[in-house]
Amino acid sequence: MEMEIQTLSRARRLLLLYCSFFRITALVVGGGLAMLPVIEEIFVVKHKLLTREELLDMTALTQTVPGIIAINSAVYIGMKIGGVPGALAAAAGAVTPPFTVILIIASLFPRLDPKNRYLLGVFAGIRACVTGMILVTGCRMFRRTVKSRLECAVVLVFFVLALMKVSPALLILAAVPFGWCYVWWQTRRMSQAEQASDGGTSAGASASVDPSSETHEDGGRGK
Amino acid sequence: MNHCILLFFQFCKFSVLCFGGGYMLIPLLTAEFVDREQVLTMSEFGNLLSVAQVTPGPVGLNTATYVGYVNEGFFGSLAASLGLVVPTIVIGCSAAAGINRWKDTFLVNGMLKGTRLAAVALIMFAVTIFFGMSIFTQTIPWEALGACLKFERPVLPDGFSVSPAGMLICGVTVVLMLKTKLPTTVLLLGSAAAGALLASWF
Repeated sequence: MEMEIQTLSRARRLLLLYCSFFRITALVVGGGLAMLPVIEEIFVVKHKLLTREELLDMTALTQTVPGIIAINSAVYIGMKIGGVPGALAAAAGAVTPPFTVILIIASLFPRLDPKNRYLLGVFAGIRACVTGMILVTGCRMFRRTVKSRLECAVVLVFFVLALMKVSPALLILAAVPFGWCYVWWQTRRMSQAEQASDGGTSAGASASVDPSSETHEDGGRGK
Repeated sequence: MNHCILLFFQFCKFSVLCFGGGYMLIPLLTAEFVDREQVLTMSEFGNLLSVAQVTPGPVGLNTATYVGYVNEGFFGSLAASLGLVVPTIVIGCSAAAGINRWKDTFLVNGMLKGTRLAAVALIMFAVTIFFGMSIFTQTIPWEALGACLKFERPVLPDGFSVSPAGMLICGVTVVLMLKTKLPTTVLLLGSAAAGALLASWF
């Protein structure tokens, strides 16, 4: 596999990155995770520039760092294969097709206020479909992320604040210090429970709860 | 030109705050461009998202390009897409080297824990925005719901009703997504056809 990488010159590798991501975003509808099978086919199976494990690690990574998943994948794969120039080439390749296609569409219908009944019907249909898709995605995310009643309550508080027109940007920024406090509190409670179970048997109940919540967390991270 | 620079920085902000994929952009974009600056109405935003969804390419990028175009034409789209991409490249290039070292530190873990919970809440919020554009004919009137909780008679805004076609398509999509492994392209095209068909009946 090392041989394969050596045989491609630097310029060829950058060109490959640009063209591959151009093709991926030009053809794949839905974006983000829908790109994954195509990425696997091009970079793992055909050109052998990545291993399956590297791709899996990257998938987890692109979903945790901020930014839209498609561009994250392009940047991380580009970085892995061609360093910083590779990341730039891959990102440029990923941006070009949607940019041109949307520009053409946007200049065709100026402010998007169609009067045609069937066209409106098509838009309404797609909106309803997207509603269903986000609903399912949201439920899956909820099940994967929320592990205790306290976390559920926190999500509800954030949700109600968003409904009360608190800026989403502010909510995300506020979530960061909250996360620090929460993780600090969790680890402290865990170490206390350990001490308690070392000292006597009375704290057995609380100590038996904590390890289980810890394994849940590991399971969540594993996915 | 100044407005383009502003757009670029706005989208930089969205990119940095966008934990958990393109759908997270929806609450951020509506808060900024529909509620605050009012360059778009909610129904225009809905149509724009529909176009972004069926056009090939990542939904986030498509939406950004479109919103940029509505704001400032060609240079607006350029500023918006670049704004979405540049922070990712900067973060990506600096983080790719160190991410394995930082992955299990307290600061990163805490930040991820907190932002993930906020992301779930904001996706739920995005669902309510979409309910207002598909299952109901207008934004959900939360004031009326609040009045119900206080045992007062709720006042519904004019033209607020349930859209049977939207509800049907949304329900079928949820069932198909849970029970089958149909690709989203098929679901989207099917819903577009169903929407046109139902529009000729209702």
